[in-house]
Amino acid sequence: MSQINLTIDGKSVAVEPGATVLEAARRAGVAVPTICDHKDLSPYGACRMCIVEIEGVRGFPTSCTTPAAEGMQVRTASPELESLRKRTMELMLSGHPNSCLVCPHREACESMRPKATKAGRSTRCGFCSNKEECDIRTMALEAGSRDLNLPTLYAAHNLERGDPFMDRDYNLCILCARCWRICEKIHGKPAISIINRGKDARVGTAFHKSHVHSGCTFCGSCIDICPTGTLTDRFARWYGKPDAKTPSACLLCPEGCALIAQTHSGKLVAATMTAFQSEASLCALGRFGMAQIVNASTRLLRPAIRENDEAFTVDWDTALDSAANGLKQHAGRVGILISAATTREERHLYARLAAGLNGRFAVVPTLPVDPLPAGQGTPLPEWLADIQSGKITALILGGDFLERELARSLDFLLVIDGLPVRVQDQADVVLPAALLAESAGTLRTAAGQIRSLARISRAPGQAKSEWEILRDIGQKLDIAEMHFDTLQDVTAAITDDAPPASFPGRPRQDVFSLPATYRGHLLADIIPALSAFGLPTTYDPSQEVQPTEGFELLEIRELVPNMHLLRIHAPQVAAHAKPGQFVILMARETSERAPFTLADWDAATGSITLIIEEVGRSSRELISLSQGARLAHVSGPLGQAFPVERKGTVVLGGGCYGIGAILPLARALKEAGNRVISVIEGSSAYLLYWEDKIRAVSDELRIATKDGTRGTYGGVQEVFQEIREREEDQGAAINMIVAVGCTFMMRMVSELTKPWDVSTFVALNPIMVDGTGMCGACRVSIHDETKFACIDGPFFDAHGVDWDELACRRGAYAREEVEALPQTVDLNTLMFPETAKQGCGCGG
Amino acid sequence: MSFAEIQQKAGRSWDRFQSGETPRVLVGAATCGRAAGAMEVMQAFQQGCATDTTLTPVEIHEVGCLGMCYAEPLIEIRGPAGDRVLYESVTPAMVPDMIRNHLGQGRPVAEYALCRMLPQEYGHTGEHIPVFTDLPMIRHQLRIVVRNCGFIDPTDIDHYIARGGYSGILRAMDLGPEATTEEVKLSGLRGRGGAGFPTGLKWSFARKASGSPKYVICNADEGDPGAFMDRSVLEGDPHAVLEGLLIAGYAIGANHGYVYCRAEYPLALERLRTGIAQMRANGLLGEDILGSGFRFDVTIKMGAGAFVCGEETSLMQSIEGRRGMPRPRPPFPAHAGLFGNPTNINNVETLAAVSAILEKGGPWYAGIGTEKSKGTKTFSLAGKITRTGLIEVPMGISLRTIIEDIGGGVLDGKGFKAVQTGGPSGGCVPAKHYDLPVDYEHLAQVGSIMGSGGMIVIDEESCMVDVAKYFLGFTENESCGKCVPCRMGTQHLLRLLTAIADGQAEENDLETIRRIGDTMKKASLCGLGQTAPNPALTTLDAFMDEYLAHIRDHRCPAGVCKALISFAIDPKACTGCMACAKVCPVEAITGSKKQPHAVDQQTCIRCGACRQACKFGAVRVE
Repeated sequence: MSQINLTIDGKSVAVEPGATVLEAARRAGVAVPTICDHKDLSPYGACRMCIVEIEGVRGFPTSCTTPAAEGMQVRTASPELESLRKRTMELMLSGHPNSCLVCPHREACESMRPKATKAGRSTRCGFCSNKEECDIRTMALEAGSRDLNLPTLYAAHNLERGDPFMDRDYNLCILCARCWRICEKIHGKPAISIINRGKDARVGTAFHKSHVHSGCTFCGSCIDICPTGTLTDRFARWYGKPDAKTPSACLLCPEGCALIAQTHSGKLVAATMTAFQSEASLCALGRFGMAQIVNASTRLLRPAIRENDEAFTVDWDTALDSAANGLKQHAGRVGILISAATTREERHLYARLAAGLNGRFAVVPTLPVDPLPAGQGTPLPEWLADIQSGKITALILGGDFLERELARSLDFLLVIDGLPVRVQDQADVVLPAALLAESAGTLRTAAGQIRSLARISRAPGQAKSEWEILRDIGQKLDIAEMHFDTLQDVTAAITDDAPPASFPGRPRQDVFSLPATYRGHLLADIIPALSAFGLPTTYDPSQEVQPTEGFELLEIRELVPNMHLLRIHAPQVAAHAKPGQFVILMARETSERAPFTLADWDAATGSITLIIEEVGRSSRELISLSQGARLAHVSGPLGQAFPVERKGTVVLGGGCYGIGAILPLARALKEAGNRVISVIEGSSAYLLYWEDKIRAVSDELRIATKDGTRGTYGGVQEVFQEIREREEDQGAAINMIVAVGCTFMMRMVSELTKPWDVSTFVALNPIMVDGTGMCGACRVSIHDETKFACIDGPFFDAHGVDWDELACRRGAYAREEVEALPQTVDLNTLMFPETAKQGCGCGG
Repeated sequence: MSFAEIQQKAGRSWDRFQSGETPRVLVGAATCGRAAGAMEVMQAFQQGCATDTTLTPVEIHEVGCLGMCYAEPLIEIRGPAGDRVLYESVTPAMVPDMIRNHLGQGRPVAEYALCRMLPQEYGHTGEHIPVFTDLPMIRHQLRIVVRNCGFIDPTDIDHYIARGGYSGILRAMDLGPEATTEEVKLSGLRGRGGAGFPTGLKWSFARKASGSPKYVICNADEGDPGAFMDRSVLEGDPHAVLEGLLIAGYAIGANHGYVYCRAEYPLALERLRTGIAQMRANGLLGEDILGSGFRFDVTIKMGAGAFVCGEETSLMQSIEGRRGMPRPRPPFPAHAGLFGNPTNINNVETLAAVSAILEKGGPWYAGIGTEKSKGTKTFSLAGKITRTGLIEVPMGISLRTIIEDIGGGVLDGKGFKAVQTGGPSGGCVPAKHYDLPVDYEHLAQVGSIMGSGGMIVIDEESCMVDVAKYFLGFTENESCGKCVPCRMGTQHLLRLLTAIADGQAEENDLETIRRIGDTMKKASLCGLGQTAPNPALTTLDAFMDEYLAHIRDHRCPAGVCKALISFAIDPKACTGCMACAKVCPVEAITGSKKQPHAVDQQTCIRCGACRQACKFGAVRVE
C-alpha cells in the first residue's frame, strides 16, 4: 500500500494508511501532549489534550483519533490551541487533588521532603505515591500559571483497600479509562468499566462487587498503565519509582512466565508484565506475590546447627562442615526432597549430590488448592514409608514438606530453605537460601522454553544462593562432579532436563486456581491476602485479639479527607490535661506507641479528642478502629503544658493536624487575657476544619490555603507577615507566635520570625517511643542543648531548634516505615472487615 | 394479498371508522392524555354507554395526541347525526351529560366543547362551536409529521394505509434506491434530531459506503427536558416512522433496522411492537417485501434513559451492549457505525417526514419552508405559555406567531422574556428577537439551535440565572463523564451559577464562565458537551443585567433565587384568611384569623407556597 503524505506544522511526513494524525506528528518529531493515549491501547479521545487544527476541518479534532489523510495540513500549536489545552488541563486537574502544583512553597517543601508522605487519601502530590512518576504533574508544572483558577472538586469516593494487593483511590482518577481499556484488551471481558454518569462517573466493577468476585485476575495491568496514583500496588507503592527494571521469569509454577522485575534499593518490590499483551499477562502471584515472599519478615537469615539438642547460629563454614559430616555418615540412606520451584541449576546440583551420596532424590510439584486429576501425585507417601522403615535415615529438605512426627524417625535432617519449616527445631543443620529473584539461574517452562532468572534482589542476612550452598557441600564431600566455578558452568553441564508437567490450573485466567504453596509453605501464610482467593492458611484471624478492656473509642469520623477525629474515654487524662500536652496511643498490645497532641478534652465526661492524620502504619491502625472499640493503651497527659501567660497579642498558626492542636491553646491564651489571632492553614479549601470552633475562642480567625482557594494564598507564614504589617501600621506589635503543624511549616515560620525578635514556639514531632524521657529517641537540640521532646517539650523556642538534625532523625526509619505498611493493611482487612466505613466525613 | 388489495381492505376499514353512522367516542389516549386522566374518562364512557340501554351501541377508540396538551383529556364524539365535536378538559363527571345529550339525543354539549371537527353546521346546537381548523392553535399549523396523530387509531394499520400510508415505500421501490435517495435530497429535508444535516446526503454516504451488512437506526431516544415530539408521533402514528425506516433501509441497502427507544416511553414501545407485528402480517417486513425481493426486519432496542444515548455514536455503543459513551468521529457512522458497519441513523421526526415525502414527492416538501430550511418542524410548547402542546409549523414562521397566536401568549398575561429552544443544548432567545423567523439559520444567528424542537417559554417572573442553572444541572448529571471539558466543565458551570444564585459570586466569575464555556464548545468530544454551556452563555449575553444584580446587589430581580429573597406579607392587603399559614410547610407564618399575618424569616425556607396560596396578592417577594 502506498504511503500517506501530510504536513505537520509545515514538516512533510509519510505514514502508513490507517495511521493517526498523532502518529504522524510523532513520526515528524512533533510533540503533542497526551494523557489518555497509550501506545498499547486503541485511541479513545477523552482527555482532549492532543487537539490540533487541520486545514479545511471544522473545530479542533483530537489527533489521536483522526486518521491521517493525503495532503492534510495539520497545525499542532497556535495561541488558541495552547489556550484550549491549558484550560482543558486545568479542568482535568480540578477533578484531581493538585494543590502542590500551585503552592508557592512547592520547591522549598520538596527539597526538604522529596519522598511522598504515606497518606491514606492522597490530597496533594506530596501525599501521592505516584508523585515521582506522574506525567500529569510534569505536564501541569510545565504549563505554569493558571488561567481559570478552579478549585478542586474533591469527589469523596470511599478508599478501596479491601481487595488483595491493590489500593484504589478514585478521587485521583481523571477517567482516561486506560485501566478499563487495558483490562478489555488483555482479558476480553473486562472486570471494570466506567460506571455512573456525569460527576459521579468513575471506574468500577459491575454491581460494586469486590474485584475478587468481579472476574479480575489481578494481573496488575490496570495499575501499571494508570497515569495517576489512583490504582496502586499496595506493597510497592510507597517505595517510590523503581530504580531498576530487569527482565526475568517466575519460578512459582511450571508455567515459568517471563516478567519484568522492579527493584528499589536492591530489593524486589514488584514484577510486571513484559508487554501489555494478553499472552504476556501474569497471575496474581507472579505480579504481586514474589516481592512479598522475598521480603517476608520470617526469612531465614543465618546458618544454624543443633548440637546436644541446642540450636545456635554459626558461620557458613561451620554449618557446611556440619552438613557434610552428617550426610557422609548416612551415605546410601540419604533422601533429597526439594521443590519444583527451583532453578534447573539447583535441581542439577541436587541430582549430582544425590548421585554422589548414593541417595534418592525427588522433586515435589507445585499444585493448586484442588489439583485437577492429572497424574501429578507427590512422591511423599512413598517416602513416608521409606523413612519409617529406615531405608532413609538422613534427609535434605528443600521446603516445608515434612510432618514433625515423621522427622523424628530421621537421624539427620538438613534444611536448605529461605523460610522457616515446621520441622525447623528438629533440624540438625539449617542453611538459609536466597529465594526467587535473589539468585540467578535458568528455568524450563512447561512449554519447554528456557528462561533466564536475573539476580536482582539482595538476599536478607547471610542467606546464599542455593547453587552455591550445594556446590560448597559437594566440595566438602569431595564429590568431583560438583566442582563448578561459576553458575554458567553449571548451566552448561545440564544436557537432559525435561520440561515439567504443566500446572493443573489456569492462574492467569482464574484467580481461584493459584498455586497453594511455595516450597511446601502455604502461600497464604506468607501473604495473608491470598486467603481471599481460597488459598489455605494456618493463620486464624480470630486469634488476633482486639482488647475487650481498655479505653473506649467513643467517636471516630473523618472530618475532612484524611483527617480523622477520635474521641476516647480516658477520664484520668481528661482530668489532668493541660493545653499543649499529648498522649501516646496503642491500638493493641502489639502496636507501636504513637504520640498525638490533645486537641480537646472534657473532664466532666472523661473524654479526650485527638485529630489524627493518616500518614503511616500506626495512624492507619488507629483510624481503622470502629466506634465502641477499645484501645489497649492511652498514656498521658504527657509533656510540658504550654506556659499560658498574659503576653498581649498572640498569633497562633495551625496547619493540617495542627489546626486541632491550636484549639486548646487559643482557648487558654484568650482566657488568660491575651488578644488571640488564630491562623489555620490547609492545602485547599476543602481540607479546612474546625473553623467555627477556633473562631469561637479567638479574637480573629484567618485562613490560608496553598492553592489560594480560600483566604490568603500560601501558608500561615504569609498570614503572619500580613498580620505583622497590619499591626505595625497601627503602631501595635505581636508579642508571641505559636505554630503547630508539619516540620516544614514550623521551620518556615521559624525562619520568618527570627529577624522579627518575637518569641516563637513550635511543637516538635520527632520519633518518640516511651514518652517518659527514658529511651532518648525524641532527642532534639535546642540552642545546642540536648532536650527530650517528650518531657522537655513538645513546645520549644523555634529559633533555637536544630532543624536539620530533627529532619535527619525523623527520617531514620523511612524504609522500615514503608515496609511496615502492607502488613497493617492485611491485618486490617482480616481483622476489621467492617473498615468499609471509610467515609470522608463530608456527610455525603 | 397484494398491496392493492391491502389498500382496498384498509380503505373500507377507514371509511367505516371515519364516516360510519355508528355513534363513536375517540379518546386522546397518548401518554399526555393519560396523564391528564384520559383513561378514567374512557372508563366512564365505557360504563355509561354499557348501562344506558336506550343508546345505540357506541364505538370507543383510543387515538393519539392532537397536540393540544393544555386541553387534555380531549374526547371527540360523533353523534347519531354524524356530527363530530371535540371536548376539552373532560372529567368523568362530565361524561353522563355528554352521553345523554350528544350520544343519546344528538345534541352536542356546547359548554364543554372545544370545536367541531367537520366544517358543516349540524344545527343541533344553539351555541356557536368553532371549527377545528379555525382554532388559533391549529390555524397556523401545517401537519405533515403529525398528519395522522389524533385522527387515526394508532393500533390499526388499516387507518394508516388508507390515509396514504405505505404508498411511500411502494413508490420508493418503483424509483429504486438511488432515485429514492435523490427524492429525499430534492425535498431539502434536514435531520430533525437537532443538527440539521441534509438527510438525503447522509443516506448517500451510507449507500455508497462499502461493507455489509448495513444498518438503519431510528433514534427515538428523546431526552430533552420538556420535549415530547417523538413520543407523540410514535404513540399517535407509529407506522409513519416505521415506513420511513423501511424506506431508509431500502435506499441505503440495509436489511436490518433498529428503533432505539427509551424505556420511559412504554406506550410508544407498545405501539411500535404492535406496528411491527402488523407490518409483518401485511408483508411489509420480512423476506420479500411487496414482491420486490427486498428483505428487511426491525428490532426494538430499549434505552435505559441516559441523555447522552441520544447522541448517535453513544446510541450505537448502547445497541452493541456497551456503555453509552460517544466515540470520536471520524470514522462517521456512515462508514463505521453499528458493529463497525455502515450505518444510517435518523430521528423519529425525520423518518415520519420521509414517509410523507416519498408519498407526495420531494418537490412538494421543498415547496414548504424557507430557502435553506425546507418543510415543517414540530415543536413542543412548554413553560409559561397559555396553550402548551405539540405543534407543527412551516419553517420560517416567526417566534411571535408561534407563541402569541398558536400558543396563546404568555401564561396569565405576564410579559414575555425569552424562549429556550433546543433544550439543554440550546440557548435562550430573548424578547428582542420575537419576530425572528424560526429556522436553522436564524436560530443559529442568535446563538441558539433548532435542536429537536423543545420550546420553553420564559416569562418575566423567571430568573435567567435560575434557568441556566436548571439546564446545567441537567447536563452535569447527564454528561457521560468521558471527556474532560464536558465532565468537569458542567460541574464548574453549575458551581458558578449556583454561587451567583446564592449571591456568593464575584464579577470575574462571569469571565470564568465564558472561558469554561468556550473551552467546552471547542474541545468537548460530542454534541452534549459542545452545546452544554449554551444556556449559560446565551443568558449571559442577553441578560447580563440580571447576572450583575445577583452579584453586585445580591438581588434576584425575578424574585426566584431563594438565597436572595424573602417573603413578606403586606398587612394592608392581607385579609387574615389563614390560607398561607395552612400551606406553609415549616409553620413560619403567624397571625390569627382576620388579623394580618407575618412571616418569620428565620424559619422560612422560601418555598413560595404562601405566595401561590394567597388570593389577595398580599405575599410579596423582597
